[in-house]
Amino acid sequence: MKAVGARLPRYDGVAHVTGKSVFVDDVRIPGTLCVKALRSPLHHAGIVSLDTSKAEKMPGVHAVVTHKDVPLNVYGHLSALGIPADEPLLAEDDVRWLGQPIAAVAAEDEDTALAAVEAIKLDLEERPAVFDMRIAGDPDAPQIHHWGNWYPHFEAEMDVRQIRKGDIDAAFDAADVIVSGVYRPAAIEQAPLETQTGLAVPEADGRITVYSCTQALYFSMGVVAAHLQVPLNRLKFVGGTVGGGFGGKVDTAAEAICALLALKGGRPCKWRWTREEEFLCSSTRAAWHIEIADAVTKDGWILGRKTLTLHDAGAYARFSPYGVTKHSFHHTGAYSIPNLHFDGYVVFTNRSPTSAMRGYGVTSVSFATEVHMSRIAKELGIDPFEIRLKNANRIADTSPNGIAYTDPSTVPTIQAIAEAIGHELPAEYRAMTPDPREGDLLPEHLAAQVGEVDH
Amino acid sequence: MKLTVNGIGHEVESHGLQSLLYVLREELGITSPKAGCVQGGCGACTVLVDGEPRRSCLTPLAALNGAAITTLEGLGTPESLSVVQAAFHEQYGSQCGFCTPGMIVATTALLERTKKPTRHDIEQALAGHYCRCTGYVKIVASVEAAAGGAKK
Repeated sequence: MKAVGARLPRYDGVAHVTGKSVFVDDVRIPGTLCVKALRSPLHHAGIVSLDTSKAEKMPGVHAVVTHKDVPLNVYGHLSALGIPADEPLLAEDDVRWLGQPIAAVAAEDEDTALAAVEAIKLDLEERPAVFDMRIAGDPDAPQIHHWGNWYPHFEAEMDVRQIRKGDIDAAFDAADVIVSGVYRPAAIEQAPLETQTGLAVPEADGRITVYSCTQALYFSMGVVAAHLQVPLNRLKFVGGTVGGGFGGKVDTAAEAICALLALKGGRPCKWRWTREEEFLCSSTRAAWHIEIADAVTKDGWILGRKTLTLHDAGAYARFSPYGVTKHSFHHTGAYSIPNLHFDGYVVFTNRSPTSAMRGYGVTSVSFATEVHMSRIAKELGIDPFEIRLKNANRIADTSPNGIAYTDPSTVPTIQAIAEAIGHELPAEYRAMTPDPREGDLLPEHLAAQVGEVDH
Repeated sequence: MKLTVNGIGHEVESHGLQSLLYVLREELGITSPKAGCVQGGCGACTVLVDGEPRRSCLTPLAALNGAAITTLEGLGTPESLSVVQAAFHEQYGSQCGFCTPGMIVATTALLERTKKPTRHDIEQALAGHYCRCTGYVKIVASVEAAAGGAKK
């Protein structure tokens, strides 16, 4: 145990402070071309025609690619798990968010690449767009997605992520008070200092070396291999030096298009997104709409919870079904609620596709739960620390999806917060531990949910 | 056009309106100044021009004839870190590393003009430098350590 608790120097610290760290944009390969993309200027439109012939003939332009150049254009981030794919690498029939890539060019320099993008003739037929997930499900809402306006491929082809635990009707019948709230965390751009950047180098032996700023190297490798329809041993991925990610670099962004252009043009191709592209076109954390109703007793026990969650996937599914699943597993926060009725929908809108960011799917419902706990305390006239400690997860309590907690830290965390801010707790709450429930802390309604823990 | 970078004279060929950031990175291969936003907002491209911190992405070559430029590479080496570089390393002032070149260059300029900067001086000097990782606490601690005002 030499490392635990010790202040060790960062392994990459000296390189960082001397400018020796090599980020993707710092890699120097002779003959590297500059990549730029034609992106949708509209939020939602049909593609009537796309003509790249003028751009292809421009001096200094080495390759132009559209959907026709992609061996497998539609491939999803969850495809490897057998989940159907919905998103094209390059748009084919329609565009569903402002900034969706339609074509890409590789040219001698940035000015030539920008001029070539300008020379691509694109004819769009604008369609009505939806930006508010609360109306995307209305019968008269414009259809955004070919699957319908919400994701239909949860297990058993259900169109909703559900959790049913205990007896929700009995909980609401037994309640003294029903406390309701609506919580709407907004979308956030991860905003790493390093924008999305990729560099693909065609090697003499037919392989492609890809320099990537991804947070998920082997994952990106699989995605690129699938789009290109090449075996994994044709690709060499170089990564690990990431200029900030925060979840925004889990989805594969620049690599596949760089690799496609490198193969077609026969030259190394680098694509560094502008700051504007990073904000407008890269994935963001999703906006959420969370409605909670809790069945509560006068003395502060939470008997049951009904939840409706809408998750704004943006234009395509990406990881959203996974995010909502995590959200459902954590939807009681740090507290044990034995009777649950949860419905979560992945809703499509014409916003940028959304993805991971710092506690994917969980932070939204942690926020909702914490505000809701304080709301219940206020409504009942109970101390907000005491109601949290009373309902806090303890060893052998079970999560919404039925996993028994082995080492929950809720009780000591809340006690530490109370101490840090000088909030006086009664002796019985100061003495609380995470140990399994017993006595007054094991009321009848919590008995059935207690699980087995291996010691 | 003549340019001195980290003590070495260069004859550069880019046109006068080309940015210093482009000249350093693409013409001279000096890559510590980063293209974080290329619009003067983030501070990651900061270098010293005759000792003064400047956004290299907004500085045209034409304004620099005969100027002496210092980048992070010119402040110290892995074998011989500058006081500021050592402090950022020891105090964990660098996390992903992308904003670090600008932070260290700006801190170096601050300590050149103010040996004992106040917290306010440090915040002013680094106000235009974005860091998305650290929350700035460890960066300020690094500057204080470099100024000799904080415990190691």
